[in-house]
Amino acid sequence: MSTEADIASMIQRVALRDRAALAQLYPAVSAKLFSVCLRILRNRPDAEDALQEVFIKIWQRADRFAAAGTSPVGWLVAVARNHAIDRLRSRRPASESLDEAHAIADIGRSPEAETVLKGEGRRVDRCMQELEPDRAGAVRSAYVEGLSYQELADRHSVPLNTMRTWLRRSLMKLRECLDR
Amino acid sequence: MTTTSDDSEPDGPRDDLLAGEYVLGVLSLEDRRRVEARLRQEPALAAAVARWEDNLSALNAEYAEVTPPAETYARIESRLFGTSAGTSSSAVSLWNSLLLWRSLAFACSAALVAYLAYNGEWIGGSIPSTPLVAELSGQQEGSLTLMAHYDADSGRLQLAPVSVGPAQQHSLELWLVPGGDDPAISLGVLPQTGEGAVDVPPQLRPRLGEGVTFAVSLEPLGGSPNGARTGPIVAVGQARRP
Repeated sequence: MSTEADIASMIQRVALRDRAALAQLYPAVSAKLFSVCLRILRNRPDAEDALQEVFIKIWQRADRFAAAGTSPVGWLVAVARNHAIDRLRSRRPASESLDEAHAIADIGRSPEAETVLKGEGRRVDRCMQELEPDRAGAVRSAYVEGLSYQELADRHSVPLNTMRTWLRRSLMKLRECLDR
Repeated sequence: MTTTSDDSEPDGPRDDLLAGEYVLGVLSLEDRRRVEARLRQEPALAAAVARWEDNLSALNAEYAEVTPPAETYARIESRLFGTSAGTSSSAVSLWNSLLLWRSLAFACSAALVAYLAYNGEWIGGSIPSTPLVAELSGQQEGSLTLMAHYDADSGRLQLAPVSVGPAQQHSLELWLVPGGDDPAISLGVLPQTGEGAVDVPPQLRPRLGEGVTFAVSLEPLGGSPNGARTGPIVAVGQARRP
């Protein structure tokens, strides 16, 4: 089992071009990062390819982890999310099975993983509860599934501009709550 | 509920919103590229993005682990390092030699400093061309001493601890100090032991020469949050030709 400090040290060694460290980092975090790719891309072959590219980016950009100042798992998830979202946005709208994405969400997390990942902070959860439930839901699915404004508008059956306003207001409220 | 209220926002909150939208992932590809181009130039926007990433990271718990196919790692290795997906790489052998170097460094630190400084020999063999060495040390109790060795041919700056300070909750970040009023330039974060190697970016290589100053500071785990030195200098030294 790897702690946050272990993972931070693996990333730092990866930044020093240590291949053995990459081989250690992969089993520690690949299931989490694969989940990110699957949830956002909603297509297994695409997610498998994206995961490979994510690790290539981690190898190339590990030195930037130093400047990021976030938790090591948080940084890795951000690399994976950004990559998956870019990939999603750059492909043409395709027929996607939402059922597949929802089925994936039901797979449980190992207790070991819980221990590593609980450093993610819980304050935003409290602030999310201050939002109206449908807006909190929109924020959550935007982040977790990488939905665009248009897809969110369709899902919630509201006009595009309304969805924009919902999310921007929600972000402002979250910022205000987080700063308290 | 009208868009005019959004338009009247001053730039600060507006950029914070844009950073939030970027991190949420709702922007179009074009807008994402625009934000990323600005991130490279605007530290305030980069800080806002980092803050949102940190704030929203609690939602990462929604990503329930899914084990990827078994062959994925071999594919990654082959894409990164070519088809020979073994462990006998130069990087690994370098690391092994660093482990050897560390044990030697602990065994006979003082002698080693003198040896390196006056003979210009590097553990494991003679060094190519003219190297640059620096001994980085601090004045205060608990500071550490490092030996740095720069190989101009490869652009690799190797570091090894001669004595170790108590820096467990922090990261050691290595800086090039240009002198004058210029801020220190980060060369990267070192492993907790202070031992490791840094590939100096090509654009910085011309600045490495006799008399340049290296410094190591204590930074929050993972390194300076804003790219500038924030913690105390625990070791400093000048490069010289041995």
